[in-house]
Amino acid sequence: MTADVAVSRHADVPATRPTVAAATLVQLPRMRPDRLRAVADRWPDPVAALRAVCRGRAAAALVHADGPRSDAGRRRLAAEWATAADPDATARVLARRSTRVLLEGRPGYPIEDPLPDRPPYLLAEGEGLEALDRPRVAVVGTRAATPHGLADARRLGEALAEAGATVVSGLAIGIDAAAHEGALAAGGLVVGVVATGPDVVYPRRHVRLFDRVRSSGLLLSEAGFGTPPEPFRFPIRNRIIAALADAVVVVEAKVTGGTRSTAGHALDYGRDLWAQPGSVRNPAAEGCNRLVAEGALPLLDHAELIESLDLTPRGRHDPARPPVPAGAPRAVLAACGGEAATTDQLVGRTGLSPAEVATAAAILQKGGHLIRSRGTWWPT
Amino acid sequence: MLASVPSATLLGIDGQLVEVEVHISNGLPSYTVVGLPDAAVRESRERVRAALISSEVEFPKRRITVNLAPAGVRKSGAGLELAVAAGLMIVGGDLPSGCLDGVGLIGELGLDGTVRPVPGALALVDTLSRAGVGTVVVPAGNAHEASLVDGVAVRPTRSLGELRCCLKGEMPWPAPPDPPPGGAGPADADGMGDLSDVRGLAVARTALAAAAAGGHHLLLAGPPGVGKTMLAQRLPSIMGPLGRAEALEVTRVHSAAGRIHDGRLIERPPFRAPHHTASPPALVGGGSGRPHPGEVTLAHRGVLFLDELGEFPPRALDALRQPLEERVVRISRVPTSLELPADFLLVACTNPCPCGRGAPSCTCTDAQQDRYRRRLSAPLLDRFDLRVSVSAPGPDDGPGEASAAVASRVSAAVARQEARLADWPWRRNAHVPAGALERLVPLGPDADAAWRDAIRLNGLSGRGAARIRRVARTLADLADRPDVDPPTVMLAASLREDVP
Repeated sequence: MTADVAVSRHADVPATRPTVAAATLVQLPRMRPDRLRAVADRWPDPVAALRAVCRGRAAAALVHADGPRSDAGRRRLAAEWATAADPDATARVLARRSTRVLLEGRPGYPIEDPLPDRPPYLLAEGEGLEALDRPRVAVVGTRAATPHGLADARRLGEALAEAGATVVSGLAIGIDAAAHEGALAAGGLVVGVVATGPDVVYPRRHVRLFDRVRSSGLLLSEAGFGTPPEPFRFPIRNRIIAALADAVVVVEAKVTGGTRSTAGHALDYGRDLWAQPGSVRNPAAEGCNRLVAEGALPLLDHAELIESLDLTPRGRHDPARPPVPAGAPRAVLAACGGEAATTDQLVGRTGLSPAEVATAAAILQKGGHLIRSRGTWWPT
Repeated sequence: MLASVPSATLLGIDGQLVEVEVHISNGLPSYTVVGLPDAAVRESRERVRAALISSEVEFPKRRITVNLAPAGVRKSGAGLELAVAAGLMIVGGDLPSGCLDGVGLIGELGLDGTVRPVPGALALVDTLSRAGVGTVVVPAGNAHEASLVDGVAVRPTRSLGELRCCLKGEMPWPAPPDPPPGGAGPADADGMGDLSDVRGLAVARTALAAAAAGGHHLLLAGPPGVGKTMLAQRLPSIMGPLGRAEALEVTRVHSAAGRIHDGRLIERPPFRAPHHTASPPALVGGGSGRPHPGEVTLAHRGVLFLDELGEFPPRALDALRQPLEERVVRISRVPTSLELPADFLLVACTNPCPCGRGAPSCTCTDAQQDRYRRRLSAPLLDRFDLRVSVSAPGPDDGPGEASAAVASRVSAAVARQEARLADWPWRRNAHVPAGALERLVPLGPDADAAWRDAIRLNGLSGRGAARIRRVARTLADLADRPDVDPPTVMLAASLREDVP
C-alpha cells in the first residue's frame, strides 16, 4: 500500500453487520449501480467489501465498471470513498427509518435468478414485506397516458390484487401510479421500485401514494438515502422492475420512452412480456402495438394473464352501469365510436345542437359511460 | 402685472384643472416656467415665443414668470401653450384684461401661430366645464370632440392671430366645421368580417354569443388553423352599439390616448388585440412620467383579445388578474396614483399543448405539457367563465349563422339582463357576485339537481360552480327562456372545460 492512499478512520473497525456494511457502500458518494456491482463482484461479502473500501483499495474493482476512465480518477474516487464511508452514521439512519437491507444471495432477497446486472443490495422500506412472497406482476407504461390507459391500468391493478398477485411498478406519473392505485384500492400488496433514494419522493405530487405504498407494500431502491432524481437512474431502475416480476405488462407506451427499456429487460431476463394493444390512432398505444408485433403476448383478457401465473382470477366484474338511454345519448355514444371526441366533433357527427350534445354527454357522464378530460369525451 | 387663464392637463384619462398665471415685471428680460412642468411643457417656451412673434404680437422684453397652479401636480403635454400665449397677450397689453373672464383655453401652438389639436380634449373640456368655465376655446381639430360635452360653449380657433381678433371682437368666432357623418367604432373594429365566414365550430359559436351577451371571459383552445382567431375577431360584429354614457367613457379613453382624429363619438365596442410580446405596462397601463392607459383601458367596454395566450410573458398575464376582478386598474407612481377604467371582455386563444394536436393524438411528453400549462396560472384560467376546446371543422360543415342573426339574439339577451339587474349595481350576468346568485339566478328543482351533478362529476370548486350558474343564466337569456332549465345547466357545464 502506498502512502498516498487515504485510509478511513473506520478501516480497523472489524465487526460491522453485513446489512450495515452493504448500506454504507450504497451510501458512498458518486456510487452508481454499475460501480456497486463491480465492488460486490470483487468482494462478495459486504463486510469484506467495506473493509477494502475503507482501506482505499476500491480502485482495483472499478477497472471494469463504467467508472472513472483513468487510473488516477479511480484512485481519487477510492480515496474519496475511504474517507466518506461511515458505517456508524448509516446504521443510525437505518435504525431511525426502519429500513431493511436485502442482500444478494441471502434469504429475503427477491431476485432469485443470478442475473449479471442485478443490484447486489436493495434498500427496502414499508410494512408489507410479504408482498415479495407472492407472484409478482410488473404493470408499466407511459407517463403521458390517455384516460383510457389510466382506467385500464387501474382495472388491471385491481384484478391482479384480487387474484392475489403483487403489483410491481415505478411510482411514476401515469400508468405506474394508476396500477398502484388500483391494486391498493382492491386491498392488494404493491412494490414500488424508485430511482431515487428510498427517502426521496419523486414526483412530488405522489407524496400520499408513496405513504400508501409504504403501508401496504414495499418501496425498493438501490440508491442511497437522499439520492435526488437523476435522469440516468430511471432506465437503470427499470431492470429491477423487470427482474422482480414474474410477468411484465405494458398498458400504454410510446415507441420511445422508458417503458421500452423495461420491456427489453423483461425479454433479456426471460420474463413473460404482455402488451395491451390499442388503436393505431393513439400515439400512447403505438409502443404496445409494436411490442405485440415483435412477439409480446397481447393482453386481451386479464384472466389469461392471471392464469399464466397459476392464480385464479376472481372476477369482480364491472360495477353495474345503467343502460344507455335511447335517443340523443345513444347517438352521442355511437358517434364517439369508442374513441375520444370533443363536443364540437360530436355536434358535427350527430347533427344535434351543442345544447343537445352537452345534455346527452352529461347524462352519459353521470351513468359512467363517458369520462371528461381536458376538453375531450372518452368512452369508458 | 398678472393674468390668470384656466386650462387643463391630462392625468391618466382625466383632466386636471390648471390655472395658468402669467406675471410680468421689470427686470432683466427673462422667461421662466415654474410649477412642475415636464419636458414638453418646458419646451413650450420656445413655441409660445415663436408663435407670438409669427402672429405679429410683440414678445414682452421684461421679466416673465409663468406659474402652473396647482404647483404640486405634474403637467404634461403641450396643451397649456394656448393659455400661456393668451396670458402673455394680456400682460403684454395686446388683449384687454377682461376678455378672458370665464373662458378656458386648451391647445398646442405651432411656430407659425397655428393652433394644433391635443389628445384628451373631451376630458379636458369636461374638466373645465365642471370647474365652472362657461366658454372653452379649443383647437379647430378638437371642436367636434369638445362639443360632446354638454353645458359649455365651444369656440374653435385655427391660429393665434384669429384667436386675438375674435377675443377683441374684431371678427366673429369661426363656425365649427361640419360634423362628420354618424358615430362609428375605432378604426380597428371596422372591417372585421362576418361570422358566416367561419365554418363549423358550433360549440365555440355558442360560447362566443354567451361571451358577448353576458360579459363572460372566453378561452378558446384548439389546434392551429381551425379558426379560433377568425372567430374571436368577429366578436365585435355581434356586440351591440354602446349606449350614450358608455360611448362617452370610451371616447374619453381613446381621446386621452391620442387615438381620435376625427372627433367622432365612438359608438361601437373597441376591439384591442395586442401582440404577445406586450409588456406588463403595455397591457395594464403605466409607463414613466404621465401614466398612459394600457390595453385593458383601451378595451374598456369592449374586447381585449389575446391570441396565443401562452406566449404572453407570465408577468404580463398575472398583471391582468386585478383588472379582471375589479374592472378598474390602479396605477401607482411616486407622485400620483390613479384609477383607470378597465371593464373589458377578455377573449383568448391558445393551443392545447406544444404540439398543437391535443388529445387524443397529442405527441407531447408529460413534462412538455406540464411546462406549457404552467405558463397559464390557475388563478388566471379560473377567471375564464367559458373555456372551450375547438376542433377542426368537418368536411360537411357549412358556413355558420351570420353575425346579424346572432347580434339580434345578443342584444335581446342584453336587454333582458338589464331589466333583471336594473335595481342592482351590475350590468351583466358575469358580474353578479356569488352571494347574489341565489336571488338573481334561481334554479328550479330539476335544474338544481343538474347543477349539483355537474359540480360533482366535473369536480368544480365553489367558484367554478358559481361561474357555470352565471353562464347558464346567460344561455337562457340568449334562448329567451325565463327560467334556467336542466339542459341549459348542462350546456353551461360543457362550456367550462379543463383546457388547455
